[in-house]
Amino acid sequence: MIKKIPVFILLINILVIAQAPEIKFTEYDLPNGLHVILHQDNSTPIVATTITYHVGSKNEDPQRTGFAHFFEHLMFEGSENIKRGQIDSLVQNAGGQLNASTSFDQTTYYLLLPSNQLELALWIESERLLHAKIDSVGVETQRSVVKEERRQSIDNRPYGTLFEKVFATAFTKHPYNWTPIGSFQYIDQASIEEFREFYKTYYVPQNAVLSIAGDIDIAQTRALINKYFSEIPAGKKDIPRPRIVEPKRVKEVRDTVYDKIQLPAVVQAYHIPAQGTKDYYALNMLTTLLSSGQSSRFYKALIDEKQIALQTGSIPVSLEDPGLFICYAFAAAGKAPEESEAVINEQIKKVQDELITDEEFEKIRNQVERSFINEKSKVLGISQSLAEYYLFFKNTSLINTELDKYMNVTKEDIRRVAREFLAPTNRIVLYYLPKSSQKN
Amino acid sequence: MKNRILALLLLISFTAFGQVDRSAPPKPGPAPQIRIADYESFTLDNGLKVFVVTNSKLPTVAFNLIIDSDPVLEKDLAGYVGMTGRLLRTGTKTRTKEQIDQEVDKIGGTLGTSSSSVFSSSLKKHMNKLLELMSDVVINAEFRDAEVEKARKQILSNLISSKDEPDEIAERVRRKLFYGEGHPYAEFETEASVKKITRQDCEKYYQTYFKPNISYLSIVGDITLDEAKKAAQRYFGDWKKGEVPKHTYKQPKAPLLTKVAIVDRDNAVQTSINIGHPVEISLSSPDVINARVMNTILGGGAFRLFENLREKRGFTYGAYSQLAPNQLTGYFAASADVRNEVTDSAVTEFLYEMKRIRTEPVGENELQKAKNYITGSFAISMESPQTVASFAVNTAKYNLPRDFYSNYLVKVNSLTADDIRDAANKYVLPEKSYIILVGKAEDIASKVKKFSSLKIEYYDDFANPVDPNAKAVPEGVSAASVISKYIESIGGKEKLMNVKDRKTTMSASVQGFDVTAVLLQKAPNKMLQRISVGGMEQVMLFDGKNGVNKSPMGEEVLEGENLEQMAFEADMLAITKLDELGIKATLTGVEKIDDKDAYKIEFVLPSGGKFHHYYEKESGLKLREQRTLSTPQGTFTQTTNFSDYREVNGMKYPYKLVQSVVGMNIEMTVSNIEINTGLGDDLFK
Repeated sequence: MIKKIPVFILLINILVIAQAPEIKFTEYDLPNGLHVILHQDNSTPIVATTITYHVGSKNEDPQRTGFAHFFEHLMFEGSENIKRGQIDSLVQNAGGQLNASTSFDQTTYYLLLPSNQLELALWIESERLLHAKIDSVGVETQRSVVKEERRQSIDNRPYGTLFEKVFATAFTKHPYNWTPIGSFQYIDQASIEEFREFYKTYYVPQNAVLSIAGDIDIAQTRALINKYFSEIPAGKKDIPRPRIVEPKRVKEVRDTVYDKIQLPAVVQAYHIPAQGTKDYYALNMLTTLLSSGQSSRFYKALIDEKQIALQTGSIPVSLEDPGLFICYAFAAAGKAPEESEAVINEQIKKVQDELITDEEFEKIRNQVERSFINEKSKVLGISQSLAEYYLFFKNTSLINTELDKYMNVTKEDIRRVAREFLAPTNRIVLYYLPKSSQKN
Repeated sequence: MKNRILALLLLISFTAFGQVDRSAPPKPGPAPQIRIADYESFTLDNGLKVFVVTNSKLPTVAFNLIIDSDPVLEKDLAGYVGMTGRLLRTGTKTRTKEQIDQEVDKIGGTLGTSSSSVFSSSLKKHMNKLLELMSDVVINAEFRDAEVEKARKQILSNLISSKDEPDEIAERVRRKLFYGEGHPYAEFETEASVKKITRQDCEKYYQTYFKPNISYLSIVGDITLDEAKKAAQRYFGDWKKGEVPKHTYKQPKAPLLTKVAIVDRDNAVQTSINIGHPVEISLSSPDVINARVMNTILGGGAFRLFENLREKRGFTYGAYSQLAPNQLTGYFAASADVRNEVTDSAVTEFLYEMKRIRTEPVGENELQKAKNYITGSFAISMESPQTVASFAVNTAKYNLPRDFYSNYLVKVNSLTADDIRDAANKYVLPEKSYIILVGKAEDIASKVKKFSSLKIEYYDDFANPVDPNAKAVPEGVSAASVISKYIESIGGKEKLMNVKDRKTTMSASVQGFDVTAVLLQKAPNKMLQRISVGGMEQVMLFDGKNGVNKSPMGEEVLEGENLEQMAFEADMLAITKLDELGIKATLTGVEKIDDKDAYKIEFVLPSGGKFHHYYEKESGLKLREQRTLSTPQGTFTQTTNFSDYREVNGMKYPYKLVQSVVGMNIEMTVSNIEINTGLGDDLFK
């Protein structure tokens, strides 16, 4: 009798996991250090190519913020064999789409193309890695474009500076102090040599992961990758990795920002461990409890019951080094942000004091399972996940097994991380208030 | 043996790789076949049309219900239809919002509602629970007062915060200008309208329009046709059908001339530019695919606008255009956010590209690039089974040819440069556009005047017209005081009452033609105006009761607002007896007219018709009359400016009148005014 119980439990586990379709992949290193991951899925005749470089804003000199992101723009200017501005054109001419993004920790480029254009994708990415064009014309154009990007997404937007202010306040030593968009002035000051130096340091095969998913043939794709990437020499410089540890916060910091807004907002940011740690998964389960869906605790309390907020939520910002757990609320018209903060604190205290119910526990497990499966609906998403699992954890098979890490989190873990990390002394709090309310 | 061949092959390939030709892009392999997945369809007894796309890649299912009703005019309740959609998932006969939220989240599902759709999705294993919830909100929705109040507060908060969102502001002005009053797309929520909405309004909308016989349900995911049939019947089979009202609307037209409209945001560091106009285009238009390819070349991705405004000039982070087909009315709009200093240069480039695509034939390579891009996007969209479902629903909903989507790419690839130019000439109208700018007026206004022969129009955050020159009204001044000062300034009430009849003769020159006009007025309220141009004559007559407008184009008997307006003009003493005539006068502000401060008075006729007079602050004289004319081309403002006041029999009359409408100015000069010559009543018949 006793022996049967574990079998039963095992069966339940298998049932849960069996839901997620397995993503099969092949991975290997080229002699120059480029890591390659391939996933074949022939259901639609398209192919997604992701190449991610292990360089983000945290690698920047504090006197050159915005550099990694600016570089992402420069990489669309062309190469020795690709004329200025032709990357967009080549990809669209091939019926494809492209984009790129820069975060604190990485810079990612992707191309999504009909599958008969795989070789074009490899040619473009290998050109960028081998000999991108870094000249003054390109630098000048992208300086203007990046400034407009900053104006459009930050300076001309209500609450646009929020993310930037939170990180600037929370991090005093660590380079998460500034966000990837950076400042105008540094990009203006930088010389062409500095851009070339940055390229030689970070845009090297051993600092990149190439991940391809879609309608491919593995052997043929390997041969093509060999053709375009194997001649690229490995980088000869050391790749600097910041080893700065943000000192442990011992005292709450509170600040107020006056912005071009109508409704006040409040943001709390708590220091948390890096992505991939056990606590990180528990914090992810916690955020699901607090703010995923309309029955979540924050939504229910602030929006449905007390009706003091227009929007509320929590986000564990997933970062390579220890990051932040952000809780926020945008006040409803005529409501004070202090009311929202009080209810957020009340809800956090509740998780710290009481274990969550079985029913809520089942709910958040179901929600996490669902979103884990949904991430596998598109080849582009799959190629990006594969690249990141390798880049950050050197463990590509997490694409199939990471769900276990969430499912292993217990109710006690959730209470524990709430107690350990969501403490007032471990946070900064920002109030965003309308400029019109500022007293001179 | 086999091994050796392999080794040999490897060697050959390696040698080949040693000399990679990087100088040119590699040639693509043979084009893959783009296959649209199959779908099945069936109809329930209550008329609900169901489409099923099976795709078992992931263990998930999704249900999308589309209610295909005509948009309604919401008028002073703008927002009630949207609120109905929002309220759908906040209560049913047997569930509270809290219960619905809990049950949806418990299965890790999603359930979203709007006024025209209900969407849900979950893992396959939770499908029955999901459908139980979805059909409950569709069939048994119940509207509760507390939820109505909550939704109202949320919408009001959203409206307040949208005052700082340049895109939302631009969108409101765009709707108002493109579609005009009386069109549902011109309507949007305001504080006043949202406050008026009642629970009953929402209930009534739900009960009238949520019917299976006008709806489509698409089922997508890890589900067989058989399972889908059973599920649809079980969860939607009991939904009762019913008659649903139809509504039709006039097709909005592009403006006759390009107009510039500005919304001032004094702290803006960028201008949001929107240039465009309504167009008549829907998915069932025969050239809808031509139009899409044309718009792609212009700005449907990183094409001409992006290349020019971003990559060549660095004005913006992105510049695009949209040509949106719609059954009611489509629109064309090009847009970008640019820094203040380059606003006018950016508008110039937009207009340049809009003109260029109409005049220069598109090059072969560029055309091919657009075709390839659309073909590739089509292939990429096939990855999502939702795409196939939306194709199936669109085909039924818009009555498209059965092969519309299967032939789509064939059609795209058959288009020529002439087809593109024709489409551009039909759908892109740079000379009949609205140029909407949300930005810092002080920095941009003087530089963008040149884009239109019309005066720049100013709007507030909610698309209400505002006057940028408006100044505060001094204390103690009212409509009554302004009007009485005017009467004094032209000679006083007594002298005015002594005028029994008046004949005014005027002349003008319009585009080389001599125009003469004679205006006869007789107390108490008879009027005749005769305008002659090159042998043609237009006569406007008011006999004290009835008004008529005769011209070579025909005879129009005036009624309603137009008749009231004429009666007001016929009565030389009208301004002295507004109360008696039931006309309301309000002082709305002080504005500058040619460097003179003027009080603006709004007159409201008993029928609700409105017009404005401007009286000079200093002298009291009338400087301007302003009316809004409604025509099928949109609404226009007609202004008449008065100057050169001269004395006749102790009374002052303006000898120069300048009338302007849609940028045309007609200058009339008075040659003669005769008072009390004994005009006979028979003249006014």
